[in-house]
Amino acid sequence: MSLLWTLVISAVTVVATFPLTKLLGRHAGWPIAALYLAAAAAYWPAAREVMHHGTVEWSMPWVPTLGLELSLRADGLGTVFTFIALVIGAVVLAYSTAYLKPGRNLTFYFYMAMFTVSMVGLVLADDLILLFLCWELTSLASFFLIARSGYAGEAASMRTLLITFLGGLGLLAAVTAMVVRTGTTTLSEALAHEVWDTSPGFTATIALLVILAAFTKSAQFPFHVWLPDAMAAATPVSAYLHAAAVVKAGIFLLMRFSPAFHDVPVWNVLLISTGLVTCAIGGWFALQKTDLKKLMAYSTVSQLGLIVATIGVGTEYALAAAILHVIAHALFKSGLFMMVGVVDHAAGTRDVRRLPVLSSAMPIAFWVTVLGCASMAGVPPMLGFVSKESILTAMHEAPGGPVAAWAAFLGVALTAVLTFAYCAKIVFNGFFDGRGQAKWPEDRPLHTTPWALGTFAALPIVVGLPLAFVVGILDTPVGRAAAAMLPADAEEPHPHLALWHGINLELLTSLAIIVVGVFVILRRRFFFPAREHDTFSFDGADVIRVINDTAADVGKSLAMLVRADNPTRHVAVQFLALGALVLGGVGVLVAGDHLLPVQEGLISPIDIVVLVIIAIAVAVLCRANSRLAAVVALSTVGAAVTVQIFALGAPDVGMTQLLVEALTVLMIMLVLQRLPQVFGRAPRWGNKAALLLAVVGGLSAGLATWALTGRRDRSEIAIWYLEEGPVETSGDNVVNTILVEFRALDTFGELTVLGMAAVAMVAIVSTVRDKYLDPPPEADRNYVPPPEVPLRERGSTAYRAVTEAWGNAVPMQLLVRVTAPLLAIISAILFLRGHNSPGGGFIAALVGSSIVALIYLATSRDRMVGPPRLPLRLVALGVLIAVGTGIWGMIGHVSFLEPLHGYLFDIHLTTSMVFDLGVYLAVLGLVMEAFNLLGATGGESTRERADEAVEGEISGPMDTSRGERYAETRLGIPGRGSTYLQQDLPPRKGGDRE
Amino acid sequence: MILPITIGVLTAGAIYLMLQRGMVRIIFGLALLAHAANLLILSAGVTAWRGEPLPSRTGVEDAGDPLPQAFVLTAIVIALAVTVLMLAMAVIGHNDDTKRMPETGETHRR
Repeated sequence: MSLLWTLVISAVTVVATFPLTKLLGRHAGWPIAALYLAAAAAYWPAAREVMHHGTVEWSMPWVPTLGLELSLRADGLGTVFTFIALVIGAVVLAYSTAYLKPGRNLTFYFYMAMFTVSMVGLVLADDLILLFLCWELTSLASFFLIARSGYAGEAASMRTLLITFLGGLGLLAAVTAMVVRTGTTTLSEALAHEVWDTSPGFTATIALLVILAAFTKSAQFPFHVWLPDAMAAATPVSAYLHAAAVVKAGIFLLMRFSPAFHDVPVWNVLLISTGLVTCAIGGWFALQKTDLKKLMAYSTVSQLGLIVATIGVGTEYALAAAILHVIAHALFKSGLFMMVGVVDHAAGTRDVRRLPVLSSAMPIAFWVTVLGCASMAGVPPMLGFVSKESILTAMHEAPGGPVAAWAAFLGVALTAVLTFAYCAKIVFNGFFDGRGQAKWPEDRPLHTTPWALGTFAALPIVVGLPLAFVVGILDTPVGRAAAAMLPADAEEPHPHLALWHGINLELLTSLAIIVVGVFVILRRRFFFPAREHDTFSFDGADVIRVINDTAADVGKSLAMLVRADNPTRHVAVQFLALGALVLGGVGVLVAGDHLLPVQEGLISPIDIVVLVIIAIAVAVLCRANSRLAAVVALSTVGAAVTVQIFALGAPDVGMTQLLVEALTVLMIMLVLQRLPQVFGRAPRWGNKAALLLAVVGGLSAGLATWALTGRRDRSEIAIWYLEEGPVETSGDNVVNTILVEFRALDTFGELTVLGMAAVAMVAIVSTVRDKYLDPPPEADRNYVPPPEVPLRERGSTAYRAVTEAWGNAVPMQLLVRVTAPLLAIISAILFLRGHNSPGGGFIAALVGSSIVALIYLATSRDRMVGPPRLPLRLVALGVLIAVGTGIWGMIGHVSFLEPLHGYLFDIHLTTSMVFDLGVYLAVLGLVMEAFNLLGATGGESTRERADEAVEGEISGPMDTSRGERYAETRLGIPGRGSTYLQQDLPPRKGGDRE
Repeated sequence: MILPITIGVLTAGAIYLMLQRGMVRIIFGLALLAHAANLLILSAGVTAWRGEPLPSRTGVEDAGDPLPQAFVLTAIVIALAVTVLMLAMAVIGHNDDTKRMPETGETHRR
């Protein structure tokens, strides 16, 4: 239970960020940090159990049909990482309360908390799927935290996402393959499976996939690109995610899978070589940086490389050394990152070329940084010294013979020189030398450091100091963690950590490193500036951009094969294929005499009448050049089809068809008033080709219907619905109960489509600038100036009757007064009786929509029906209500959208009626939005309507197009959404680069 | 059988109209195609039974297949949504010719 509590408290923290940030602003960091510590405290019993050579497990069924369990398991490894995530997290959040700008900072705290819970889930997961999910969540949280830092973070966050998700795919593949091969989703069982011993090929493949995942996350060469990029994020984010947590997730993964892979050659070779290469280039690039934060970033890359190489050695001692360095690194690096934040806060810059002498002005910060850097450089008596000594010792055990071991040892020693050099650079260039002192204005004071900022930045570093002297207390945790990284049958490791091991090779190496380092320090005035240029003229970001653009270009050229802006190509191909299929297929059926006998009584006399009407109307529709004539023909077809549907015994469908037909024609008329009066030119291939294709398509459709329908009895399912439907639902209208109960998920999808159509209309219209959307009437192709009619004098009745609309609208308005309430009542009745008689949400909503249409038509001049934001809100409400009833059904019956029945004073009630209400609102919202947008003439433009649908009443159309990049196309033209909305000043005309 | 002919006529008209240049004609074509498809689905329920599917009133013997009816009802409303969306696109620039891209003021890489 202890594990569950830790996870639950971390999860509650995520939700708690909303009220806490609202109440406390940036000081929400305090209670959140307290919650982290509470989560850590909740973990304590489990930690004690683990230290006494036990493991704690907890699980509950998750997706029973797939055999997935939400299982947690605490071992030595999970314990170390849980405490790193929670305790360092708490310190960083306390630091944030002083670092962040005053204000709510909700996204910061929210994503930090989300990150922490996924990190805790990751390290405690004992289920492979859970492990993968948490892994991806950490990637996402990291992405959001970088992305929230504004424009600088935009491209960087995308690169981070790209790289970490690439690794995520690797992990997904590895996890899936493991589940399939070992037959269990439990991590500990899968790792103990015999397949790792019996199938070397499989083992190597999975090892490579895990390595890919871990390398992307832990920024190993060549995936190290994203980490320096990620420094766009706020300093607390860097201190926590990019020093202590996210990047350690990759390390954790390697350690977690170590029991299976620690003796696989490809694992050892790749980890050691890549780790050392990363360590070296990270150190080298760190020396080249002048921005302290970038320097820290590369130093993190370098230190991670060191840890990866040590894991690669794979022996008991090496794994213990790796975990010790993880602890040491988490302490000193998070502290150093926060110290950079302190410097930045005080001096307003992090560039060593511009910093004044800080060591005298900020002595405490200076000495703390010295301690942190000493730990990083491996100077005694720091914790980092102990871990570095251990790593050096561990390298002797590198597999592949004494030559390889000595090479690894030498590699670590050389990279340690680089580490020492950049540590010296941080201390001396950052604080002591004051390379920017000469240019520093005399009167410019340093900002005083708030106590929380300084204290919590120093805390992790200062704690590391006494820890080095009593490093023996880490024996048990490190030993337990190392045990978790070895197969279960291995001997229990006893690392015997100590500051002083006597005079040995490692100590001498350390001394040599320090001697070289001191030499560098003495020659620093020459040495550091000389390194401050990039080795390559391009960086990783450029490489990714090139890869990305190339992929996009290839994709585009592939898409060019099938895409076309006009629909002809798609339509023609589809119907040719249909014709070929049907004509050929029916031919075979008839030739082979496979057709069943036609059912009797398929024909009704009314069918013939309908056919005649439809045939004539379709002919007129196709031949008409006048748009108005075409609409008349179309509505004739619609009416005839309605009759046909009623004749087929489908009253619900018929009513729906009738109402939809009426609304559609109204909407078409709204559009037609803004389009040319005639249709214009024929298609490029000529009408003959179109006619030919039409005949072939029509013939195929007719033949298919003839051959494939009407040749059997009623289906079993039809009989079942007719007989059992009323019993199951106690509703007599089977069609309605199918819609809202049996197949409610279909209907749910449908109402979402309706809602999305409304949203999509607004979205499409607002991608087009006003002047292109509604060009002035004179620009229209067939513009005819209004005729000069000889009228009586202005003010006379005759004049008004011709020139003004309101007089003509009066009869309609009077009519609306009577019919609107009537329609509302009809709509309500249809809605209520839908379960038993023809009616229901759709039909009632269409009747309700016709009120909207009437009100719209009855006004003398164009204006919106209802408040501007109402339609989209109705849509949203409709979808939410539908989802709500769905979830309600899930709680009540463990099935989404399952209706619940009940009685209130003898009236039968079911939640499917509430669902129907959702349908009603979505339909109504769509129709209102359509009338508002399509009907915009005269007063407001279409674009203004679209903007108002989202933003509420504004005084004119915005001059942007939604979705376009600000910087690319809008070179500093004011009037972009936000300022416009805040001040309600119409924007300047423009928006083109001309 | 009459319904297949009706469906054939509707489909032919639909295809003819959808091959035209004007967006509005294409919308009309789509409307015809929707009618054709709806009738096709209904006729899949075998049109020999034409009673209304309200069992307690019309009885089970005569009642038509309710499942295709439910499908068609859904389809009609979706067709409305599609039509409305296409109408919104037809009106851009007060010209519905699909051969040329409407001017939008956006600059984009092609």
